[in-house]
Amino acid sequence: MAKIRTIELNILGQVCPACLLVVLRELNTHRKRLKNGEARLIVKTDHRDTTRTIPESARKMGYDVEVRNLDTCYEITIGKKE
Amino acid sequence: MKSPLAKKNKPVGTPAVDKEVAALQKEIRRLRKENVRYTRYIREKTNQLLEVMGTLPLRPEEFDDSELLSLDPIGIIAGSFAQVYEYLNETISDLSEARDELQAIFDATGVGISIIDQDFAIVKCNEKQRELLVDRHQKNVCGSYCYEVYCLKNGPGLDCPAVDTFATGRPVVVDEVRKKDKYFQLVTTPYAKGTNGEVTRVIEVALDITARKKAEEEEQRQRGFYLAEKSKLASVLQSLSEGLLVTDSRNRIISVNGSALQILDLSQKQVLELKIDELFAESPPESRAMFDVNTLYACQNVELPFRGENRKLLLSVNAVPLFDPDGTAIGRVFTFRDITEEKHRQEIFHRTEKLAAIGQLSAGIAHELNTPLGSILGYARLLLKGNSLQPDQRERLAIIAEQAKKSSSIIRELLDFSRLSTQLPSQDACCDLNNVVTEAIRVLQTEMDKRFINIKLNLMPVLEVEADPKRLEQVLVNILLNSAQAIGSEGEIDISTHHAEHEARIIVRDNGPGIPTENLSRIFDPFFTTKPVGTGTGLGLSICTGIINDYGGAIDVRSIPDEGTVFTIILPLYEGTNG
Repeated sequence: MAKIRTIELNILGQVCPACLLVVLRELNTHRKRLKNGEARLIVKTDHRDTTRTIPESARKMGYDVEVRNLDTCYEITIGKKE
Repeated sequence: MKSPLAKKNKPVGTPAVDKEVAALQKEIRRLRKENVRYTRYIREKTNQLLEVMGTLPLRPEEFDDSELLSLDPIGIIAGSFAQVYEYLNETISDLSEARDELQAIFDATGVGISIIDQDFAIVKCNEKQRELLVDRHQKNVCGSYCYEVYCLKNGPGLDCPAVDTFATGRPVVVDEVRKKDKYFQLVTTPYAKGTNGEVTRVIEVALDITARKKAEEEEQRQRGFYLAEKSKLASVLQSLSEGLLVTDSRNRIISVNGSALQILDLSQKQVLELKIDELFAESPPESRAMFDVNTLYACQNVELPFRGENRKLLLSVNAVPLFDPDGTAIGRVFTFRDITEEKHRQEIFHRTEKLAAIGQLSAGIAHELNTPLGSILGYARLLLKGNSLQPDQRERLAIIAEQAKKSSSIIRELLDFSRLSTQLPSQDACCDLNNVVTEAIRVLQTEMDKRFINIKLNLMPVLEVEADPKRLEQVLVNILLNSAQAIGSEGEIDISTHHAEHEARIIVRDNGPGIPTENLSRIFDPFFTTKPVGTGTGLGLSICTGIINDYGGAIDVRSIPDEGTVFTIILPLYEGTNG
């Protein structure tokens, strides 16, 4: 199994809608690799609203999204839909 | 942002230049206004798009106009929309494929399916449903009322399962519906619900159960036939005069008819608890193969002993193997009849025939020998009376006379035997067996005392038997004398009498050396004797048997070497007064 590259995006301290726009920009930039499963995007955020807006938008774009609640922030993993 | 031209706020001096400057400044103001308007437009459109994306509008402090333009939010959202659009197309394609598959399944499935709305109009109907429930001439049924198309009625009936499903929201099953010469099972299930939770559409599934129904009917018919045949067979088996037993693959008795129970004098429960070889436990080893399920050949007329509680029977048994349709042996069928009486009569008949033949022969020989023997004895005695004989001559003549006398005695016995073989038993004579025993002992008391033989009596009150007491006494004396001779000296003879329902018995038990097994079956034959030559004729027990047989009785003998012998005289009770 080929190794999946991780693209990390730190948007700690940012709020919506800037967070969403930044994440969407990353999804557009790495669209091909994310779609074919070569890479996954891990977003670190401390803005609660983004745990709703980012997954909703990413799922509509055909990605699998997983949200984890870490101690100090949230981690949103976006990757290829299985 | 300010135009470079705006920095020159000092007039150059010429009117033409001033005019141009003024025009340019006006143009700058206009452009600035335009710039503000466009930026606002971009911000508004960005917010509009962000709202579509489900998030908050941009706040002025978040991005100033310059940062907003450099971020290119519309481009970002357009790129995202492109992905959403692509994903939607993929989804539409997948859905379309799934719909086609579903349609194929819908049409190809073996059950009839239709979707019905709240007005009972058919929304969709597959080919199987058309084939099963719709008349051929009806082209398109979608939009028609299901009760008109399927049930040929003017409105939904009370028995309609869809009515129930719409009302209760639960699936309903109707086990059997008949239409177009076929049987169906109908199931209605809620399919779609309205905003208030009410069922707006149901799926109706029609399963063709005609084949199953016909198979059930056929099974029912065959079952009826089977039960009738079974009942017939049971009646036939029960009406058989022969006993019948059926065993399974483990040789256990699984079926028995009434005649078998009657012959064996056992209950059905007793018989069905046994294995066949346990039932015929006294069968000789060479007959035991016929009980085994693995014996694949039939056995005919095998004579087997059967010991019941109070009696011993001789049965003629047939056995045939029982096979399943694959040819595997699954048991055996035994039929049998009681041949005890038949065998007994045969034996008596043969013995009587034999005795009669021997009797006739004996009578002839005795008659022919009697006269010359009389002459020999007479002349020998006459010569002995003379005085001119030498001692040795006298001795030899005495031997001749003695031997002639002994021969004469044998001939007398032969004549007795021949008379017995041909004469008929006396009619209407009856006697008390206990008296017969007492008389016989009186006759033999001296002989018994001489031999130190102790006689024990156990005489029960016995009903009378139909026989001449003198002849019975002759039989008993003969048997007692045989016992005494077998004991030799010092022994014991037990004599007992008793009676059962139809017969009386005298039992003579001695503690002599017993009769060897090989001789046991021959002791009743005429001229069979184990005594030294000249001391016995071998006719005693033959004569006894003949007498007892004449009265419809029998003599049974059992003997265990070194333990003794038991003779049992069995006689039918006198029915003239006893019955």
